[in-house]
Amino acid sequence: MTKTQSIYSLHRAGVSGTGIVDPDFPIDALNTAAWMPEGEARLGDLGLPEVSEIDVIRHFTRQSHESHGVDTGSYPLGSCTMKYNPKRNDRMAQLDGFRYAHPLQPPATLQGLWDTFADLQDALAEITGMDAFTLQPAAGAHGEFTGLLTIQRYFADRGEDRRTILIPDSAHGTNPASAAMVGFQCRLIPTTSRGLLDMETFRSLLGPDTAGLMLTNPSTLGLFEEQIEEIAAAVHDAGALLYYDGANLNALMGIVRPGDMGFDVIHVNTHKTLSTPHGGGGPGSGPCGVKSFLAPYLPAPHIRRDAAGKAFPDWDAPHSVGKVKSFYGHVEVLLRAWAYIRTLGGSGLRYATETAVLNANYLKARLADLLPPLFEQHCMHECLLSGGSLSVDAADFVKRLIDFGIHPPTLVGAGCVHFGPDYRTAMLIEPTETESKAALDLMIDSFRKVANEAAVAPFMIETAPHTTPVAKIVKDESAWLSVLETSDGSVS
Amino acid sequence: MHDNVHMGYDLQPDADRAAMLDAIGVATVEDLFSAIPKAIRLDRELALPGPLSEWALEREFRQRAARNATTRTHLSFLGGGAYDHYIPAAVDAIANRGEFLTAYTPYQPEMSQGLLQVLHDFQKLMSKVLGLPAVNCSVYDGATAMAEMAWMACVIRNKRTVAVARSILPDYRAVLDTYLAGRGVAIVDVASDPSSGTIDPNALELALSAGDCAALIVQSPNRFGVLESLGELCAAAHRHDALANVSVNPLLAGIARTAGAAGADIVCAEAQPLGIPLNAGGPYLGAVATRSEYRGFLPGRIVGEVMDLKGEPALALVHEEREQHVSRDRATSHICSNQALLALRVVLHLSLLGEQGLRRVATLNATKAHAFVDALCTLPGVSRAHIGPYFNESLLRLPCNAVAVLKALENEGIFGGIDGGRLDPSLGDCVLVAVTEMHSKQDMDRAKSAYARAIANALETEAA
Repeated sequence: MTKTQSIYSLHRAGVSGTGIVDPDFPIDALNTAAWMPEGEARLGDLGLPEVSEIDVIRHFTRQSHESHGVDTGSYPLGSCTMKYNPKRNDRMAQLDGFRYAHPLQPPATLQGLWDTFADLQDALAEITGMDAFTLQPAAGAHGEFTGLLTIQRYFADRGEDRRTILIPDSAHGTNPASAAMVGFQCRLIPTTSRGLLDMETFRSLLGPDTAGLMLTNPSTLGLFEEQIEEIAAAVHDAGALLYYDGANLNALMGIVRPGDMGFDVIHVNTHKTLSTPHGGGGPGSGPCGVKSFLAPYLPAPHIRRDAAGKAFPDWDAPHSVGKVKSFYGHVEVLLRAWAYIRTLGGSGLRYATETAVLNANYLKARLADLLPPLFEQHCMHECLLSGGSLSVDAADFVKRLIDFGIHPPTLVGAGCVHFGPDYRTAMLIEPTETESKAALDLMIDSFRKVANEAAVAPFMIETAPHTTPVAKIVKDESAWLSVLETSDGSVS
Repeated sequence: MHDNVHMGYDLQPDADRAAMLDAIGVATVEDLFSAIPKAIRLDRELALPGPLSEWALEREFRQRAARNATTRTHLSFLGGGAYDHYIPAAVDAIANRGEFLTAYTPYQPEMSQGLLQVLHDFQKLMSKVLGLPAVNCSVYDGATAMAEMAWMACVIRNKRTVAVARSILPDYRAVLDTYLAGRGVAIVDVASDPSSGTIDPNALELALSAGDCAALIVQSPNRFGVLESLGELCAAAHRHDALANVSVNPLLAGIARTAGAAGADIVCAEAQPLGIPLNAGGPYLGAVATRSEYRGFLPGRIVGEVMDLKGEPALALVHEEREQHVSRDRATSHICSNQALLALRVVLHLSLLGEQGLRRVATLNATKAHAFVDALCTLPGVSRAHIGPYFNESLLRLPCNAVAVLKALENEGIFGGIDGGRLDPSLGDCVLVAVTEMHSKQDMDRAKSAYARAIANALETEAA
């Protein structure tokens, strides 16, 4: 039994959290069974718990107290961009006119949806310097998948057999995973000691078989890839295409655009750049943008404007890669992204980016004596700091931050990014633009307190956290046992 | 200086910014961007419509929202993979809590036990509903779940052919084609019997014996709303050494035996009917369940019970060796973000319904659907397109073209159903009608008379 309880712990047979009744339609189980195919009616119980509404509300309210969100406290999880999610966006996204709209209504009855899609596509094109967007992908990784499909289809149409995608070793794991799903081979490019792409290896791997290079810029090390013009020229000279992983686009809004750097395909993670909430793991949204020569390949339908400027879904898309999910995309998430762009406008987006970069560099400067930066140059929206001079293991160090209400920064293998072995003690810290100086100072103080404590009472660090309902987790492979539930209908 | 006070995002007074720049050792924020080559920089402000106050933003959004009709402005019988079921206020009350809404994937289990418990309960509840023990924490939607499930089967069986029922929803087939194309997986079509609407047993035998299939992929209810005889289909797949992959509407488990109980090896579901709003098409939730021996092939996150330092049980994400951030190009899937917040909604919805509630709501859906379909079939020239059994959605054949009828109904404020031509070009005289617990007797009476008028008018027009 874990410290938090399953909803099953509140089960009491005969209780109901909702009344399902309609006097005009008496519930007749026998009749219903007769409507099922022979042998397919259910006889026994499924084994669902029975809980009252008040118990459900109290139970899940308690669970929420055992969850850390941006609303709860600082969340400097590098590369994941846990910025504040403005409440106004939630209100806009849940208006009846969107919430209760059915995707298969006649298109003319969804004019507000198409207009918003078209406006959002245009705004994304302006922010990124691309020509056309699809809003269909469900998340960043899904955007990668979509973008890589357009690359694949483009070369197929040209009769070119290109099967390799080049990926820096610091890329998100989704890059190679998406490339594999599309059917590409992956080749890794190492990172130099300055944290940049190793140009020599890159050039040696680039060839007639190369379909594209996937690049995150700024990289997952928080650095702008200074050689981007040279990289873009080399990729295009080789007849390949350049893919932009938009995971860190929040560092560049209004400053420089991927389209102007030479990228041909891009995806945007709306939660990272456009403030949509992450929901404890999703839903995300991963709009995919392309230069005009790739636009015909985007998933169908294409949301276009007619001559009068009225937006509509155009199913006449003969070169499209097809559909990547049902219907049109994560509407509720996209509405939030549009509300964010509308609220800030061009100058506000640039200000958000500037603040993100300012905050990261401030943290980096203030922590330098304690956690020396791995790279000398200014960082962008996040900084990679070394925990090598700490008297305790970096992995233990960050766990103690939890007791100060701070979500640990990203460590090697800690989830959303992939670092090489050189960065074993490194922490990727991304404060985001929505932390005030006071909040950053508090965060810095907490880091210092933990470091001081590490010197005098390392045990306190090694056994942290101490204020959570469970102690430090020790993962083991017996975990499968509890994943598996018996399906014999018993309520466990 | 920056005049952004009205935007509500200004949290650093100039004095603070100056102190921060000083600590960094630069004069301006601009200096921090020195690594970016001048030649590629944007030398103007982004050309976006100007910033908006919160009230102006809301006014604009309300105007846009008002340009959409909805299932609240219209009486709707639309289904086809997305259904207008009632969502209790208690679901929204919890799902909108900031602690859940603004959390990341629970990479730090010590401070995420509540969220992990929710996801663990999601796996547990869905394992009951789908009838198989190993369940993941969700993928994007029902269609991508079917595609992930197809690839799972290909890897498990080390084969690159799947037999797919032609009667799966059109979007599901489109997504399946997109996902499988690059991986060199061939699809063998399995036709339906035009009279019953269920899979044609002869076509099935032919498809399975001709190809070396990793799996048989079917959906029940299918695109016509018809329920397949899952037990027979699963047995047929197994006879030919193929896995049985079944896509279900999870609400059907209220009255039908689970797909797992019917013999399926991998089950996927679009969980939208369990507490997720229509949202004009998304976000929804795809669930995937399988037998314990295939658990290592599941895509996406899985929560399991682990131990803490004191030897006490706790929850955490487990078996990440399947996932992209560990295995990269050898991962079972690229999925990183999933649909966790929707998983919370499903957990809440199923908790509120409970054993009896799920049975009752499913029964009510079937009862109302059968009442409405029976009522429409008393109209001259209207009949069910198939004789196969159905749950809460059915394809009806009209004595005239469906488009004109649906348009006439729309003019009366009714979304009468989905044009059959969307399902198959040969079904232009059919409509797919979905009924849920929310439809009242009055709704049905109103829709029936509207259908009668619309059909009569359409026949007149066609005759003229």
